Amino acid sequence: MDALLERLEGLLADNSIFTLQTLSYYGEGLVTTVQLVFLSLVIGLVAAVPLAIGRGARRPWIKWPIFAYTYVFRGTPLLVQLYLIYYGVVFVEGIQESWLWVILEEPFVPALIAFTLNTAAYTTEIFHGAIKATPRGEIEAARAYGMSRALMLRRIVLPSAFRRALPAYGNEVIFMLHASAIASVVTIMDLTGAARFVYARFYAPFDAFLFVAAIYLCLTFAILYLFRWLEKRLLAHLKPAGG
Amino acid sequence: MAATPIPLEVHNIKKRFGDTEVLKGLSLSAHKGDVITLIGASGSGKSTFLRCMNLLEQPDEGELLVHGESVRFKQAKHGREPADWKQVVRMRARLSMVFQSFNLWAHMTLLENVIEAPVHVLGKPKKEAVEHARELLARVGLAKHADYYPAQMSGGQQQRGAIARALAMDPEVMLFDEPTSALDPELVGDVLRVMRDLADEGRTMIVVTHEMAFARDVSSQVIYLHQGVVEEAGAPGEVLDNPRSERLRQFLAPKH
Repeated sequence: MDALLERLEGLLADNSIFTLQTLSYYGEGLVTTVQLVFLSLVIGLVAAVPLAIGRGARRPWIKWPIFAYTYVFRGTPLLVQLYLIYYGVVFVEGIQESWLWVILEEPFVPALIAFTLNTAAYTTEIFHGAIKATPRGEIEAARAYGMSRALMLRRIVLPSAFRRALPAYGNEVIFMLHASAIASVVTIMDLTGAARFVYARFYAPFDAFLFVAAIYLCLTFAILYLFRWLEKRLLAHLKPAGG
Repeated sequence: MAATPIPLEVHNIKKRFGDTEVLKGLSLSAHKGDVITLIGASGSGKSTFLRCMNLLEQPDEGELLVHGESVRFKQAKHGREPADWKQVVRMRARLSMVFQSFNLWAHMTLLENVIEAPVHVLGKPKKEAVEHARELLARVGLAKHADYYPAQMSGGQQQRGAIARALAMDPEVMLFDEPTSALDPELVGDVLRVMRDLADEGRTMIVVTHEMAFARDVSSQVIYLHQGVVEEAGAPGEVLDNPRSERLRQFLAPKH
């Protein structure tokens, strides 16, 4: 502990590492991380809603492919998925000659694809569980009041399930933020990538990663705060009166 | 002059779960203003019978007429099912159900619960639905609870709210499935009072209940079911005060 404090003191007193130049690396890394995580979460969320509905379908040819997809992406490490997609893109016939190559050549897009597929798989399962947990009586009331299947889904099942899924989904968002650190292994200059760069440049691993850890912490706080606010608004119906 | 159609008629309803036949050919007609109570021991089929009337359970045999319109069925893999779901939606909108465990939608306030089906199923303008809902909530003694969520109310309040939700559909027939069985004894009275009011104003009601005093005072007809058949039926005075069968006598005898 003392050694840690001493190191921190030294860091503040003799600061040759955190110049405007290195801070700008972290700044660019922050932008990349936020873009990558935000985009994959949004696309994953949008994809997960129909997938979660289909996951609970009675027809086997809808249900089983979705289960296979979520099983594969939840059953393998994200890092392995990232490698497979990053290196696998090259093997698609003719891809290097097509216009797509311009964007696929950059590591950002394969990473975005991997992250999106991964978070969509987890989110599908979170929503599927929440949909399955809809109280039977509420569904029965919806049927008894003449709702069609689509109306019941839109008005009763999904609004109820989204609220139930909120705490678990908040964890998934934080998980994705932290998992995005592995983007740096495919040469993306995200936050962790910036820290690795600073480490290599100044040979100061402790300083470089401590600083980036603080940034991740701040981001996590922001996410926690956002979800707490959402829960307060959307989960009011679970609180007893006068709360 | 054409006679107004009978609100609800069922003929020879049969229902089996696996190898057990739970309803063995039941019939009933609810004319306007009738209050029909279904009584019987648990397992007698009374709730299943009620649930067949709005097709929450599919009867395997028999006919169902709502407002004179016969529900069409077709043969499916797992037995009979309605041929036309649009028709089912239309008939369900004429029948409102009040459940034993209230079944209010938990993520909506009481007011939102009451206007939900009128707005989204019947297509009523929202403003009109809200006005009507507030009147109904005042009627069941919940004027101040419009913005409460179900979890913030007592069972009795939730059930009265559920009755307001049922009334908001302007139903031709109200179906009550043991509306007081899940309530604490001191809350039963309020719900029964609301139901008596409805009967007094000439609502057509079919009520599955264990409340014999309610059945005696309010019903126009009492039906005693035993193992899926009608054992006795008639005016409450006949059935409840002069039971012909030993079984009904035992069922009505005070339990110690």
